[in-house]
Amino acid sequence: MATKSAASNISSASGTSSAIVAENLRKTYGSTKAVDGISLEVRHGEIFGMLGPNGAGKSTTIEMIEGLRAPDSGHIVVLGLAQPRDATAIKQRIGIQLQTTSLYPKLTVTEILDLFHKFYKNRKMLTTEDLIRIVDLDEKRNTRSKDLSGGQKQRLSVALALVNDPDIVFLDEPTTGMDPQARRQLWDVVLDLKSQGKTILLTTHYMEEAEKLCDRVAIVDHGHIIETGSPNELIHRYFSDTAIEFQDSQHAGLDAYRQLAGVSSVSGEDGRVLLYSSDVPRTMAALLERESGSNALRDLNVRTATLEDVFLKLTGRALRD
Amino acid sequence: MSTIISLYRANVKEFIRDRAALFWTFAFPIVFIVLFGLIYGGTNSVSYNVVVIDHDNTAISKQLVGVFNKVSAFKIKNESQSQANSDLKNGQLDMLIVIPAGFSAQINAKNPANPAQVQMFYDGSGNQTNAQVERQIVQEVLTGFNQSIAPYTPPVALNIQTISAKNLSTVDYLTPGIMAMALMQLGLFATVAPLVTLRQEQVLRRLGATPLPRWQLLASQILFRLTIGLLQCGLILWVSTTFFHVNIVGSPLLLLGLILLGAVMFISLGYLIASLARTVEAANGIATALNFPMMFLSGIFFPLAFLPAFLTPIVRALPLTYLADAFQQVAVGSVPQFSLLTDVLVLVGWIVVCTALSARLFKWE
Repeated sequence: MATKSAASNISSASGTSSAIVAENLRKTYGSTKAVDGISLEVRHGEIFGMLGPNGAGKSTTIEMIEGLRAPDSGHIVVLGLAQPRDATAIKQRIGIQLQTTSLYPKLTVTEILDLFHKFYKNRKMLTTEDLIRIVDLDEKRNTRSKDLSGGQKQRLSVALALVNDPDIVFLDEPTTGMDPQARRQLWDVVLDLKSQGKTILLTTHYMEEAEKLCDRVAIVDHGHIIETGSPNELIHRYFSDTAIEFQDSQHAGLDAYRQLAGVSSVSGEDGRVLLYSSDVPRTMAALLERESGSNALRDLNVRTATLEDVFLKLTGRALRD
Repeated sequence: MSTIISLYRANVKEFIRDRAALFWTFAFPIVFIVLFGLIYGGTNSVSYNVVVIDHDNTAISKQLVGVFNKVSAFKIKNESQSQANSDLKNGQLDMLIVIPAGFSAQINAKNPANPAQVQMFYDGSGNQTNAQVERQIVQEVLTGFNQSIAPYTPPVALNIQTISAKNLSTVDYLTPGIMAMALMQLGLFATVAPLVTLRQEQVLRRLGATPLPRWQLLASQILFRLTIGLLQCGLILWVSTTFFHVNIVGSPLLLLGLILLGAVMFISLGYLIASLARTVEAANGIATALNFPMMFLSGIFFPLAFLPAFLTPIVRALPLTYLADAFQQVAVGSVPQFSLLTDVLVLVGWIVVCTALSARLFKWE
């Protein structure tokens, strides 16, 4: 439990530099510790991502910060206002996109957007026209929400998060269920929001999304933040090395590769071998020599490390299992 | 206020775009009225052939005969007792009432062990429901009569209005009952499942993510349902008066007040059920389980006197009994089961209990 002095530290720290400060959040459901001591700080104007597998505690954390769930313990300050004391004032200034949103099914896109304008007071808001243009739903403006595709519903729910032209936008798994084209479209929307100076806190389990969008990432697993930093920082912190990946058709076993020149570490799964090398030319030469004459090294892939590799290294598990 | 109006309009749009909801809300009660209206016709009024024989022939007994004469459901025939006896057996006559000699003497004796009696004969092999209605009417007459001759109050003219001032046709009887049924179903079906759906589909959660105060959401939902209830009752009254010659005798303002009271009562019951049910299936299960006993045990389709006595505790526990009774006595002037004040107080009691429990138990997500 944080003491009173810790709470006052937060509010003083939140003055200008931080849009969100959360300290030592905990939430338990039955015997499950969904969030087990998460602290994070989001700066004004940055895109901050929480990256982790399903069930890691990302959604619970973001919903506690939004004020939709009460933490069992911990302190939250959003835009200098304290949750839950200033919940209504905070809601006027933030925009929330929920993971699953189905709205009035028989109202059209325009009607729902118009309705949501009535919920905010004394703010300069984005017009329904602006919102429809931003999320590119012009052709669907008169379609009832139940007749929208999954991706279109997601875009509508992003538009609803922008109605009040918010200072902070919360996006919970915004591109889940979208096809690649719709996903890229939404990424453009998010980057555009950032260029307008908005702060964005998002959760995702797509590391490509985190790498593409986020200034900083927190890697979340089992209700903890394991690491925080920019995607590049994190990758270089754990991997000065390059990844060499291929199918092990000879079933030689992982130890056979550990001896090769330049190899710093080896891992494998389902017959696939993953080597990290600090000296790619020497490792490749050794590898080719070893495998010469055979048709091994199928699906050979030499690449720089990604957040996925960082996650694998930190948790011993793949991000999507 | 403009927020509540916008939410209200959203409700209205959702509703009128839902054909099934429209049908169940408006067509269903009208189908009942039309069906019963066509089956029983506007003219098939409830009236019974009755012979009254007065063997006592005193001022008191003549007063009682006079009261029977005024019961509009009774068509009094002038016959000898032996003729009446044989007519009863052929089914020409529905009831024979005999005031025995010594009737007034027994009244004046005031001996509780040996009270004055009136004999009533009817065909026990015939229609039991008719017999029960006849018995009920005679009972009502005697109750009123007893009050009027009670020694500690001055003799008063009988108020026969409470007995049934007019011939009630079947449609007359059904119209207020169907209004009550419509309001019950507004609460059970048009409130419970939609609310649980809003919660299950996380619409309530999404609205909770905006600064919208909950009371405004609640106000818009309740206003919307009150509108539906008023429209339903208005439509039922219009159809029954226009096409089936139902005569509405009560004060329109009082009736409007009762409609609003009934609607609020069943909407609050709907919120309570929505507080208890987690899924739409469970919600509909509870609503259906309450709908059937109320439809058949609350005096909507037939008078409560038709029901066997062992059901009385259930009948008295159902809120629809009191709403139907209030509507019936106010709208068409039928014989009250309870005083109007009792009906109103019971309904208010249900509102208080349902609202208090819902406020404690309702989950927004």
